[in-house]
Amino acid sequence: MPDLAIQTSALAKTYGGRPPVHALRPLDLQIAAGETFGLLGPNGAGKTTLVKLLLGLAHPTEGTAALFGRPVTEPQARQPVGYLPEGHRFPTFLSARETLRLFAQMSGVAPAERDTRATELLALVRLAGAGERKVGTFSKGMLQRLGIAQALMSRPRLVILDEPTDGVDPVGRREIRTLIEALRDDGVTVFLNSHLLSEVERVCTRVAILRDGVLVRDGSVADLTRQGRAWHLTSTPFPPETAAALAEAVAPERAAGTTAGATDGLVRSLVTLPDRPALNAVLDRLRADGVEVEAVEPVRQSLEDLFVEVVGESDQG
Amino acid sequence: MTGLFLLTLRELSARKVVVGLFVVATIVWVAMAFALQLDVVDGSLAGARLFGQETTDGPSDLDAPVLDADGQPVLDENGQPITEADQLPFESRSLLESVVFGAQAFVAGAGYWIGIVLALFATGGLVAALSERGQVDVILTKPISRSAVLAGRLLAVMAVMLALTTYLFGAVWLVMSIKSGLWNPRFLLAIGAVFGMFAVVYGVVTLVGVWSGSGPLSFIVTLGVLFVSLILAIPTLQEQVSAVWRPVVWGGYHVLPKFGSVGTTLVPQLATGGAVGSLYPLLSSFAFGAVCYALAFVLFSRKDF
Repeated sequence: MPDLAIQTSALAKTYGGRPPVHALRPLDLQIAAGETFGLLGPNGAGKTTLVKLLLGLAHPTEGTAALFGRPVTEPQARQPVGYLPEGHRFPTFLSARETLRLFAQMSGVAPAERDTRATELLALVRLAGAGERKVGTFSKGMLQRLGIAQALMSRPRLVILDEPTDGVDPVGRREIRTLIEALRDDGVTVFLNSHLLSEVERVCTRVAILRDGVLVRDGSVADLTRQGRAWHLTSTPFPPETAAALAEAVAPERAAGTTAGATDGLVRSLVTLPDRPALNAVLDRLRADGVEVEAVEPVRQSLEDLFVEVVGESDQG
Repeated sequence: MTGLFLLTLRELSARKVVVGLFVVATIVWVAMAFALQLDVVDGSLAGARLFGQETTDGPSDLDAPVLDADGQPVLDENGQPITEADQLPFESRSLLESVVFGAQAFVAGAGYWIGIVLALFATGGLVAALSERGQVDVILTKPISRSAVLAGRLLAVMAVMLALTTYLFGAVWLVMSIKSGLWNPRFLLAIGAVFGMFAVVYGVVTLVGVWSGSGPLSFIVTLGVLFVSLILAIPTLQEQVSAVWRPVVWGGYHVLPKFGSVGTTLVPQLATGGAVGSLYPLLSSFAFGAVCYALAFVLFSRKDF
């Protein structure tokens, strides 16, 4: 069994009121150490509630949660965790370096290491020149980068980032993405909560979608975005009799020459079949008829398409 | 806890109003040092001047008999005339002591009535600020318990206020003692009473701050509690209200902190070296404060942010 960074069992949260709000329905979730996990969902889906429950900011109505095997009810469960909250506020009267040192102390970082680590991280988030400036003078983007540095001070094994690119310009956004990829490469578990689906798609190995407090999709980005049983086929042109025989399953798409890296004279077709054996049967027939196959790729939808589809299901019913 | 303690100290130092309180305390003792001149001869006060103006006209004032409405001397149980000195709230009888103790009682009273309210104003929002979105998310997700977070904040507030009280009372005590040669160490006990009552009242600030997350509300509610406690402390109130309200008044007085009783009785008694009548107002106030803090810690631990 893999080392689990996050594990929840029937974790649920209902806020009192009339009527009560079921912010999170009983949720079973396991995130292995080293995964880069993206949590998606429309506003009010329960994403923030889940994060709060994992970090002990809110108490579950039922169920349990653990971080690296320790119940989240124990403060020490948060020892290996770095967290960047959305809309965080740091004391404006502290400098960036003082802020990092202070939160390093709260995170249990050894005194001798605090200053060195602060210097490293200020450089990493491009705030080296602003380390002695008061946080109150920072722009939103600088605050966000300082927040990321704060989350990484204790060299966490799990980083929970809530809208990490919020307020950051495109260049900074790319840098944060690179940073997340570097964390992933270092084996750090990343839990990413973002509305920027393209970013989630780029950096996450696994994605889950919450809707109305219920986990409605969970899987790898590749699996979730695979579109039924359809493939893009790039090949030499079909002989007329072959095209006629396979007309029901294979439809011309467009000239492959227009796609990058394709050689002239190739054609692109959309293959729609019930399963993989049927696909291989078609490929065998094509080869038998002298067609040379360049590439076969599963048809995928973008994460954004999937998200809209899932949210649309909610709207419809 | 250390992190929150240090953060709170920085926050208090960033709030200029706390620095202002230290400045005011400094002005008080410096003013006493330079403005009040005591002429002590052979251990007795020959004269006292405030800003160069004579403030006493000799010890005969204290030896004068107290007169009744008909202008006749009031006699004690032994048939002896009662003098002004007999009516002083402390045992000392010399003019020197009356001036020194009077000045110390004035500082203690001002420190109590004005100082506590100013201190509440300066620090009242700190507990509620802990619950502010954005700040609470960063702090409570560190590997420290919520109790330690709240305790760190409260300890820092208490440390600063104890330092401020000790600074003011200690400096005034030193100035008056050096000037008069009359050392009244019991005056220093007033530090405990004033600081203790601040701590009690801050329990209300803490409880309301944790519950509501609003600094202004916690300050207003605390002032309200103080006001009600002062009303309930009126000695004749129970006799004046109807029988239905009598238990309410009685219960309210005993439950709420005895801010008025401590301020009008205990603090002057301690400051002037007089006999302490009863510690009940102080001890029952401590009990009230302890309950407030206990509730605040429970609430803070269970709260959803």
